[in-house]
Amino acid sequence: MLDFVVIFTKGGVVLWNSNASSSSFASCINSLIRGVILEERNTEAKYFEEDHLAVQFKLDNELDLVYAAVFQKVIKLTYLDGFLADMQLAFKEKFGSITSAERLGEEYDFDREYRRVLSAAEQASAKQVKAPKAMRSFNESQKSKKTVASMLQDDKKTAEKRVNIQESPPPPSTTYPSSSSPQSKQDIIAESRRKMREKLGSSKKTSPIDTKPTKAAASEKAGKKPRVWDLGGNSKDAVLLDRSKDAPEDVQYQNINSELVGTMQGVIPDLDVESEDEAESSGNEDAEEELVQSKTNKRSGGGGGLLSYFKGIVGAKTMSLADLQPALEKMRDHLISKNVASEIAGKLCDSVATSLEGKQMGTFDSIASQVKEALTQSLVRILSPKRRIDIIRDALESKRNGRPYTIIFCGVNGVGKSTNLAKICFWLIENDFNVLIAACDTFRAGAVEQLRTHTRHLNALHPAAKHDGRTMVQLYEKGYGKDAAGIAMEAIKFANDTRVDVVLVDTAGRMQDNEPLMRSLSKLIKVNNPDLVLFVGEALVGNEAVDQLVKFNQSLADFSSNENPHIIDGIVLTKFDTIDDKVGAAISMTYITGQPIVFVGTGQTYADLKAINVNAVVNSLMK
Amino acid sequence: MDKLNENARERKQIKLGEIDTGPILVALLLGFIAVAIFVILRRRSAGRKDFLLTGLSESGKSAIFMQMLHGKFPTTFTSIKENVGDYQAGGSSARLVDIPGHYRVRDKCFELYKHRAKGIVFVVDSVTVQKDIRDVADSLYTILADSATQPCSVLVLCNKQDQTTAKSSQVIKSLLEKELNTVRDTRSRKLQSVGDDDVNKPITLGKPGRDFEFSHITQNVQFVEASAKDSELSPLTDWLARLL
Repeated sequence: MLDFVVIFTKGGVVLWNSNASSSSFASCINSLIRGVILEERNTEAKYFEEDHLAVQFKLDNELDLVYAAVFQKVIKLTYLDGFLADMQLAFKEKFGSITSAERLGEEYDFDREYRRVLSAAEQASAKQVKAPKAMRSFNESQKSKKTVASMLQDDKKTAEKRVNIQESPPPPSTTYPSSSSPQSKQDIIAESRRKMREKLGSSKKTSPIDTKPTKAAASEKAGKKPRVWDLGGNSKDAVLLDRSKDAPEDVQYQNINSELVGTMQGVIPDLDVESEDEAESSGNEDAEEELVQSKTNKRSGGGGGLLSYFKGIVGAKTMSLADLQPALEKMRDHLISKNVASEIAGKLCDSVATSLEGKQMGTFDSIASQVKEALTQSLVRILSPKRRIDIIRDALESKRNGRPYTIIFCGVNGVGKSTNLAKICFWLIENDFNVLIAACDTFRAGAVEQLRTHTRHLNALHPAAKHDGRTMVQLYEKGYGKDAAGIAMEAIKFANDTRVDVVLVDTAGRMQDNEPLMRSLSKLIKVNNPDLVLFVGEALVGNEAVDQLVKFNQSLADFSSNENPHIIDGIVLTKFDTIDDKVGAAISMTYITGQPIVFVGTGQTYADLKAINVNAVVNSLMK
Repeated sequence: MDKLNENARERKQIKLGEIDTGPILVALLLGFIAVAIFVILRRRSAGRKDFLLTGLSESGKSAIFMQMLHGKFPTTFTSIKENVGDYQAGGSSARLVDIPGHYRVRDKCFELYKHRAKGIVFVVDSVTVQKDIRDVADSLYTILADSATQPCSVLVLCNKQDQTTAKSSQVIKSLLEKELNTVRDTRSRKLQSVGDDDVNKPITLGKPGRDFEFSHITQNVQFVEASAKDSELSPLTDWLARLL
């Protein structure tokens, strides 16, 4: 069932493999390396899919090896985690004594061990599947959690009474059980009644009661009831749902809150920092418990960190996940303080943990220094572009082929698309390229006039006389309210006819969850087939960057009917002069898309356009 | 009494004057010799002794590395980390370092090893060189323009000659010269980067005003053909032997 199992070094050399079929899996493994390991996305999952194949892999940081198993995606194999761990142990047992210098020269005869480990894993999983479900012990059952008094209650009493008397141990999750599954009307009523009771009465319990089992028991004992779907109904309900005429109870405003009238006169008051009236008591209790838990974590983490620091100095020690956690927490908080999105910071730290786990430390290294070094390395890797960026070279190539080089700028409102478009236009005309600006922002008032002013200014800076009589910058606009995709298409055709070198298309700013606007952007890109789609994002954005980019990419991929949709190719990071060293937005954006940062905007004049310097950004992040 | 003391002092002074110069001079000489030996030894040990295998991804660097050092030709995947090994030729040995070709790790890895590099082998895939000429030229230009690689000798190895559609080294040389000319032009127009570091100011290659030719640059560049699959690596071994 396993198509291909391979052990290879991090330097790319295959030490041993077992190939059940005759085809080569090199492309699959290469995509795994390029898509996951080099993109720093190796978090807990360690699973990667491509076409009809799936790969499960395991990193061995001590010997710098990678173990990978390739199988068909549709077959779900449950024993792979244990299998890879056993393979690692068997390999270390047999070949662990070889020094790193000789590792590449050895012949690895591992077939017998592989077959042994595989059969053991398969047998274990088969046994697990076949075994009958073990009976729960009394302590695990629901009965032990009830008091005797509650069980003696009369069945005819309703579920709420049971709630009153019962005391149950705190459930494992501290979050409030959200009504994710559709509940019957009775359940909803019971829930709201319970909420009210908790609010009014003082409760000694530290966490909300899990009343679902009793409700289930009650409904079971009351006999089989017809299921009521939330969105279902029949014609009899139509009368109740009819809102064409105001029902009498809707018209009478029962709870008129007349204290509000007159409060908003005059100056709008400042933002209130403290707002406790909304939080439910259960919510408060949850927060308290989390605080207590985190405090204990910190304390134990602090103690462990000190001890492991001393241990680290003394001897050669392998790092385990528990040792890495405190240092990683600190690094994560540091990254978040530098404006990296919290989700991304978490994923980065998980990736660093995976790449450091099991690694041997030198005698004078501390865990903190190792973690810092590994994090710096992964940050450099993320920021380094994954392909060559040279717009001038590519534009020259297009010029040689006789067609214009098209760049489309997209992004949310107010990030600086038009300003940076003008800056890039200036850079291009300085380098002797003819530019056509297509004004496809047909919505915002003044957008076309803004671009017209820029065009005039740029032409004044580089008059036609200096460049053999051709106007360097032209503007193609059709006013307001027209279809953006159509204007772009006409502009590109015009550029083709008049031998213009580069076309810069300015689009309207749009929020990422505005579906009709995202559809129209996707149509614009699909119809015009540009050379480069640049997402313009400001460096001030925080966690919102994740949402923006994910949704933009998703929309471009979803709403395009092609097999290979044209998604974002590069990022323009604007307003870089407003952040001094909180440069985390760069990391968030490049991590999510995997695309490089092509330009950096550092001001409002034409000369404020720079390229990114990976080392400088990483240094200011880790300071 | 005073005259006696004066005489004694004079004698002492004369004696001191005689003794002073000799041993001190000898001591100083010995000191200089010791320091000189130390410096020479230091320079030799920290000198350039490595050979780097660079090039684009999928050009065959790891395969060449395995072939040279272990005489094997295993399947190789994209390298994540560099491969380091000792190469023996005749009496002397040198370190051979295989730098991963993938864009994200290439630069950082190259930075670590470029200061100790004596020779750089730039591996080119002769089959896809026409399609990827821009990437190849960009990569080669970065290596040649780096201030740390000026004293190195460069060998451009046209790999995968066992394939029928592989281009010859002459064709690849002329293709690269034309492309490097354009790259030199566009590089000079590149944007300044945020937080410029003046430490590694890249050097403009060749003679300005004239077309780029490999004979114009400070490094000694040679073109050879080879095939790792057929273990046809004699040009590489000869070049290494000459440099060792």
